[in-house]
Amino acid sequence: MNEYIFSCRGLSKDFVLHTIDGRRVEALRGVDLDILPGEHVALAGSSGAGKSSLLKCIYRTYEPTSGTARLRLRTGELVDLTTLSDQEMAHLRGRDIGYVSQFLRAEPRRGPLDIVTRAGVSRGMDRVTAREAAAHSLRRLNIDEKLWDVHASVLSGGEKQRINLAAGTISSPQLLLLDEPVSALDPANREAALDLIGDLTTQGVAVLAVFHDVEAMERLASRIVLMRKGRIEMSGDPTLVLEVLTQGAHV
Amino acid sequence: MKNSWALKVSSLGKIHGVPDLESLSDTGPDAGTAKSATTGSIVAAWDVSFEVSPGEALGVIGESGSGKSTVMRCVAGDQTSTTGEVFLQSVDHGRTNVLDLDPSRRRGLRVADLSVVYQDPAEGLRLNVTAGGNIAEALTAAGWRHFGRIRERAAELLERTEVPLSRMDDLVGTFSGGMRQRVQLAKALANEPPVVLLDEPTTGLDASVAAGVLDLIRNLLEETGVAAVVVSHDFAVIEMLTTRCVVMNHGRIVEAGLTDRLLEDPHHPYSQRLVGAARA
Repeated sequence: MNEYIFSCRGLSKDFVLHTIDGRRVEALRGVDLDILPGEHVALAGSSGAGKSSLLKCIYRTYEPTSGTARLRLRTGELVDLTTLSDQEMAHLRGRDIGYVSQFLRAEPRRGPLDIVTRAGVSRGMDRVTAREAAAHSLRRLNIDEKLWDVHASVLSGGEKQRINLAAGTISSPQLLLLDEPVSALDPANREAALDLIGDLTTQGVAVLAVFHDVEAMERLASRIVLMRKGRIEMSGDPTLVLEVLTQGAHV
Repeated sequence: MKNSWALKVSSLGKIHGVPDLESLSDTGPDAGTAKSATTGSIVAAWDVSFEVSPGEALGVIGESGSGKSTVMRCVAGDQTSTTGEVFLQSVDHGRTNVLDLDPSRRRGLRVADLSVVYQDPAEGLRLNVTAGGNIAEALTAAGWRHFGRIRERAAELLERTEVPLSRMDDLVGTFSGGMRQRVQLAKALANEPPVVLLDEPTTGLDASVAAGVLDLIRNLLEETGVAAVVVSHDFAVIEMLTTRCVVMNHGRIVEAGLTDRLLEDPHHPYSQRLVGAARA
């Protein structure tokens, strides 16, 4: 049997809202999930099902309340992300575990080429290689070369999203987390972005993704995991799960 | 990567008034005040510990009066702390508590071991001296003697912090707020210190000017590999500059974590209020 890249057991997240009488909100209730190298796992389920929470718990943007989340590093070492120190986690980010959110984080006065190049450099690439990779990726994602040194803050939502994707994928991590990375793209650009993501899987990157459209899942996923109320309800072959999903929608 | 800190602060405390145990028990986040009702002492900071690695920026966030600047000033040596230890890797390989050094040696650390960028440029610069002269002061303190080389280095630093060279021989007092802050940054980095403390470096500047200074700081931090402590009440500043941060409230650290985690999943009631207020 293949060795997994990522494996979580009983991953749970409770929020305690001190500003609202200490109310407890259970976002994840014990998630078990293994991902193999080169496997693309798509998370499905209605909003509030816990899809983004799962990604954020793995990336430690949320601190898991309980459970384990093991990641195999490039070095072959196996670490539990839930028990790493903040500094250790910060060091793994980008290198061994990538996260591409729907929105570009505050990057007010830098151009696309600079942003993507810096992302590469921060992950240990030398500047020349990073710049080449950045240019290649931006070209592939149809970012007009005239915009490469224009401050990202003035670009369109779709352009920002593609810059974000280029930055998040410039070096191949062991595990890539994608949270609706193509939600703001028109069909042609969406196509280019999905192609890029598909290639990562071919290169052996394990991907855990949230897409809001079924078509992207059909095209990219090797497995679909259906979530409901913070738990995994079903996991399996894309066609099977999607069939159940669409039937459910008709009920 | 363990034990590779450039700066380590351990159990730092500063009490104005009688430093007794009673003042500690009725102050802090649970008591909701930094002033002791029984002794009248003010516990400005207590039990503050953190480490910063080379190339890393740590944020210190909290409302005004939470003790952020006290901590910074005690680490910098502008204030005397009541208790605690501060270690710099560049000083005796981190084995000497710099708070125990005699005052002149302590002041000497500000030449090349530890720089501070203050909110008010008047604290870090002499306004009645030229931009070039301010930087020259830092360089001569570090032993630079050759006039031509000092000028050259000063020009290089000003260029790096985006101050027009045509202003090099103008008094800093004639500069705008944003430009003064750039000169202060140039001076702080003159001797390539391994640690820089930034206290509200963009507070009080116009939004567009602040954004420019913030970009500059971010580039400098990325490019120099310096270990930085960024004190700010502004989450936007902390988010842009730091990967980890600590939250202070009534003189104590109430929470520490990755910056994005603290913003999206704050645990302590005070952090939740602070983040909630910033988002509103």
